[in-house]
Amino acid sequence: MIQPMTGKELEYIADSMSNEDLLMKQCAAVVATGTTPALRNLCSQMLQTHQQHFDSLMHAISHHQQMAPTQPQQ
Amino acid sequence: MYQQQQQKQSILTEEDLVSTILSDLKRVVREYATAATESTCPDIRQLFTKLMDSTLTMQGQLFQAMQQANMYNTSSPVLRQELDKQMKQYQQIKQKTAQFLQQTLGQQQNQTMYTPNMQQQSGQQQGSQNYYN
Repeated sequence: MIQPMTGKELEYIADSMSNEDLLMKQCAAVVATGTTPALRNLCSQMLQTHQQHFDSLMHAISHHQQMAPTQPQQ
Repeated sequence: MYQQQQQKQSILTEEDLVSTILSDLKRVVREYATAATESTCPDIRQLFTKLMDSTLTMQGQLFQAMQQANMYNTSSPVLRQELDKQMKQYQQIKQKTAQFLQQTLGQQQNQTMYTPNMQQQSGQQQGSQNYYN
């Protein structure tokens, strides 16, 4: 049973999206400038996983948009 | 100096970059755990739990890759005496707690926790949709 998203949940989701976004860029830096093939390959895979995480978090917000109240609740 | 146009240069070394990623992954695992424990909606809790697990897996893979590339020094092995000491100490603690439980719960002990009923209930919480994919 899906419930309306709380303010706290939204804050954690937003913070998590910032984290995933930063990790994507950091992985891209290793892929672009790294010299160890194993690390570059791994960072390339991790980059995709962080993108998926970001999308999952984004999807959670969009999933809760419709049931969110438009007036402040007590 | 600019002989290699294709290979971009970074201000930080590769080791610095991956070390930063490793510590960020460790931090993000903790943040997902906190977020899961403070979630109200079961679906959001499940999302955070899955993201935590996935991040923990990546952290383990990166750690192993760094160790193979000699970029990570693990702490030195603990001495046998230290293991023996802790083992002895916690065997005593375990025994004392067993006595405490016996005195406190007595005959009730079998009826308090872990009844088959409750195990069935906890199994029902799963299901519904999940976001992670």
